[in-house]
Amino acid sequence: MSAELGKAWTIARRDLRGRFVGLRLLIVCLFLGVATLAAIGSLTDAITEELANRGQAILGGDLEIAVAQREATIAELAALKQSGTLSETLRMQAMARLPDGSDTQLVELKGVDGAYPLYGNFTLENGQRVSAPGPQEIYVTPALMQRLALTSGDQIDFGEARFTVSGIIAEEPDRLSEGLSLGPVAITSLEGLRATKLIQPGSLFESKYRLKLPETAVPRETGGRLSEQFPNASWEVKTRDDGAPSTRRFIERMGQFLTLVGLASLVIAGIGVGNGVASYLRGKQGAIATLKILGADSAMIFRIYLFQIMTVALGAVALGLVIGALAPLAIIQIAGDVLPIKPEFAVYPLPLLVSALYGLLIAVIFALPPLSRAKTIPAAGIIRGEGKSWRQIDRQSWIGVGLAIAAIIALALGTANEPLFSASFIGAAAAILLLLTALGALIRWLASKAPRPKQPLLRLALTSLHRPGAQTGQLVVALGLGLTLFATLAAIQTSLTNEIRSTVPRDAPSFFVLDIPVERADEFRSKVAETSKAAEVNIVPTLRGTITEFRGQRVSELETLPEGAWVLRGDRGLTYSAIIPEGSEIVEGEWWPKGYDGPPLVSVDEEQGAAMGLKIGDSLTVSLLGVEIPAKVASFRKVNWRNFGFNYVLVFPPSVLANVPHNVAATIQLETAKEDSLLSTLPKEFPSISMVKVKEIASQIGDILDQMATAIAAAASIAIFSGIAVLIGAIAASRQARVYDSVILKLLGATRTQILTVQAIEYALLAFLLSAVALGLGLFAGWFVITQIFEFTWQPDWGIVLLTLGIGAVATLGIGLLGSIPVLSAKPARALREL
Amino acid sequence: MIQKNAASSDAAAVESHIAIAARNVTLSLGEGKARVDILRGIDLQIEEGTTVALLGPSGSGKSSLMAILSGLERASGGEVNIAGADFGTMNEDQLAVARRGRVGIVLQAFHLLPTMTALENVAVPLELDGQADPFGIAAKELTSVGLGDRLGHYPTQLSGGEQQRVAIARAMASRPTIIFADEPTGNLDGTTGEKVIALLFDRQKATAATLLIITHDPELAKRCDRIIELRDGLIERDSAA
Repeated sequence: MSAELGKAWTIARRDLRGRFVGLRLLIVCLFLGVATLAAIGSLTDAITEELANRGQAILGGDLEIAVAQREATIAELAALKQSGTLSETLRMQAMARLPDGSDTQLVELKGVDGAYPLYGNFTLENGQRVSAPGPQEIYVTPALMQRLALTSGDQIDFGEARFTVSGIIAEEPDRLSEGLSLGPVAITSLEGLRATKLIQPGSLFESKYRLKLPETAVPRETGGRLSEQFPNASWEVKTRDDGAPSTRRFIERMGQFLTLVGLASLVIAGIGVGNGVASYLRGKQGAIATLKILGADSAMIFRIYLFQIMTVALGAVALGLVIGALAPLAIIQIAGDVLPIKPEFAVYPLPLLVSALYGLLIAVIFALPPLSRAKTIPAAGIIRGEGKSWRQIDRQSWIGVGLAIAAIIALALGTANEPLFSASFIGAAAAILLLLTALGALIRWLASKAPRPKQPLLRLALTSLHRPGAQTGQLVVALGLGLTLFATLAAIQTSLTNEIRSTVPRDAPSFFVLDIPVERADEFRSKVAETSKAAEVNIVPTLRGTITEFRGQRVSELETLPEGAWVLRGDRGLTYSAIIPEGSEIVEGEWWPKGYDGPPLVSVDEEQGAAMGLKIGDSLTVSLLGVEIPAKVASFRKVNWRNFGFNYVLVFPPSVLANVPHNVAATIQLETAKEDSLLSTLPKEFPSISMVKVKEIASQIGDILDQMATAIAAAASIAIFSGIAVLIGAIAASRQARVYDSVILKLLGATRTQILTVQAIEYALLAFLLSAVALGLGLFAGWFVITQIFEFTWQPDWGIVLLTLGIGAVATLGIGLLGSIPVLSAKPARALREL
Repeated sequence: MIQKNAASSDAAAVESHIAIAARNVTLSLGEGKARVDILRGIDLQIEEGTTVALLGPSGSGKSSLMAILSGLERASGGEVNIAGADFGTMNEDQLAVARRGRVGIVLQAFHLLPTMTALENVAVPLELDGQADPFGIAAKELTSVGLGDRLGHYPTQLSGGEQQRVAIARAMASRPTIIFADEPTGNLDGTTGEKVIALLFDRQKATAATLLIITHDPELAKRCDRIIELRDGLIERDSAA
């Protein structure tokens, strides 16, 4: 056996010797597929590893206990200090004002203690590593310097305190775990923040207590012990292994999408491999028959060409791995600012190994059928001048394909972060391929049964679709995939664009104003009216609390949260109202009567209620400022989350919460021209408030979505490249037959234009028939990506989707016709000698 | 119609020297109404070391008979014994192995492997047969056909005549018992064709192989020991040249 392998390898190597031309398609497709998967795997691993390595610095400690609207009690502080080294920070939105009142800016103001940071470096732009600034000093980010046109040593006011800018922040180590900020960051000392007098009962701030634990301590256990010790504290506990859960979720989601792109590229690559190998072996028919004449049996033929194909495949895979491993370096350089974290470049063997295995298995799956057919090419074909009588695929090859498919599924299940997702995607991709293959057979059959048109060019085009040796099947799969990708991309892009547009509805307010003292609410209204009589002010009470129990189940005792029940994660905004809030409508149950003073009731958002499995009358307990309030579900509301107003999942009757210390928030809608005037006057009158300009948030969200859309387009374009390579390959595969047709037609007097027209009609017929299928498949794929992966609203622009599909069809038609140019230029006399 | 070999008066004595023995060989392609009977019962015995010309009009079954005798195709019926091997009972892969060292084939269109040099082309059957020093033998064989200075040339770098000489060297290299040549001069001009035929007969004489050559050329046929003419799938005439 080994002697036979040796012989096969010698002949294979000699026959291949630098002549990869016939296997170009296999190389391109496998390279693109493997490089994409390797790049995605390496980048995701790099970010995940960076998040894990820098977990302590990102979180600011081994353990973090966060609590809203209050600071820790003396007992709580004592318990925290007993567990390890403690660092305390306070964080809130606040308005920065220039002392002369000429400008204001919403800022994320943070107060830190002397122990900050427990891990990582808090660095200024001059390279100095610092901790908390002096009580009247403040460090600010370059963005704030720019927005308020500050220079070092300038002064700014927050609340009742004045600070001197004594440094520009270069690195805030725990930035990532702080989450989304509505304005640039400024950091002062705890004393400095308290001196602003912005920390009041009811004002919206967050206290964070980070602990550096002894090496032997397990953060999760320490967190659990502290939570048990203070069951009503409404703490949110985070550990160093998941310091930035929202970033992790974002990375997971993006990783999921990118894996999908990678697998799509690989499946497309598989088709390219299949077509490439079939076309290569078709060109080798003469050599195969000759080898058989010289004494090679079918097993030897199989081995020779398997060696050749796998050698080239290995080369393509290796090249793909090199590029895939280096890609993160380029991505970090080009798009580093968009990434949530800038990872260090390193080579990650596992994703490379997995990508290589995927590539090789795909090569085996798609190369075995044509190889199996090739080994049965009869030697006598040479004498008969046939050699085109391809036979059936044998059983062993089907078993080989089956084993490779099983190995791919095992690989997906064994290595993917979400195995079921990957396995189902591979299943769906296989189903699409089968569908397109069946469609190819159907089109062939229909073309053979259709009445012959009288117009000769049309007749020729129709017969080209079903004559023996026609590449209709390959073309249908390649064109179908190409058009599906165009439709998918258009649907995703337009849906994201509409998401950006609808971020800010036309009737959105101009400002959100937070932390208005409840007792000054009326004064606030009249001050706004002084600036603009037409201004609409909507004031709502704002509190923050944590759901600690629902349907008799303690949230802290749940191993995993019910799917989609994000309201159970950490502390959330709460409000009370005597009437149904603006933007809400009751879908089940009843609203409480005016002046209700009975046992605590609560009205819940219908979607979150469903996620928690709540029914009318079920119990739900919230914890506010350390006090638990048990309530009964009175109604479910459909909430219009997109109206850019104040919307709350939980709304209570005034009697339940009105006596809890709190502030109110307001939305203000007024003429654009008066926005700046209001922005400069209100913070002077109400130093505690934070004013958020809606347009700025919208622009921030728009930027993020824009970057996302660009990333999606860039990733998807790789799949499109693969699709185009497959299409070119399919066209090239049919070239020999087309050259023959073209030459015969020329002999009979056809012009080049007429020959080109025949092919244009053929491709147009296919493109037309496939567009409907591609539209259906593309819309489904787009819908899946938008709603299931990114959880956005499905709102594609149908006109643009159809237009893109049309352009895609014309583009593929163009590529097809471009591929026909060599066919047209075939010189009849020469071609006839060679054919 | 069954034609007996005129030279075989004592069948039993001849059996041991018979290179090719075919009995009632038939070949049909297609099924039902599409069925075509290409060979309709061929009986034939060819002695070792003889040269035989196979003549006949197009479609008479010459190439098909050669394909069956050389083991490139299985007969639909009848018995085929080639150099002691029962080709009639073998499947395609067994035939491929049986051809090694037993059968050499030269075709009209040369059919050299375009990706390999002349030397490698000649070495391939020797390698497949597991012979020692395939390249040494191949080089010697190419030298003997006058291509000692063309060992490293690829087929596209050789003239038609040279390519056919490589094909002859390749067929002869493993010292087969029988050489089949299907219109070996069909793609060559007259002068080159003459040279190639001279070489083929030369090499046949040197190796004492049996040579069966398909040709349309009566002059070439006359150079053979025996001429067999086929018509409509049957032997019409079998005579000494």
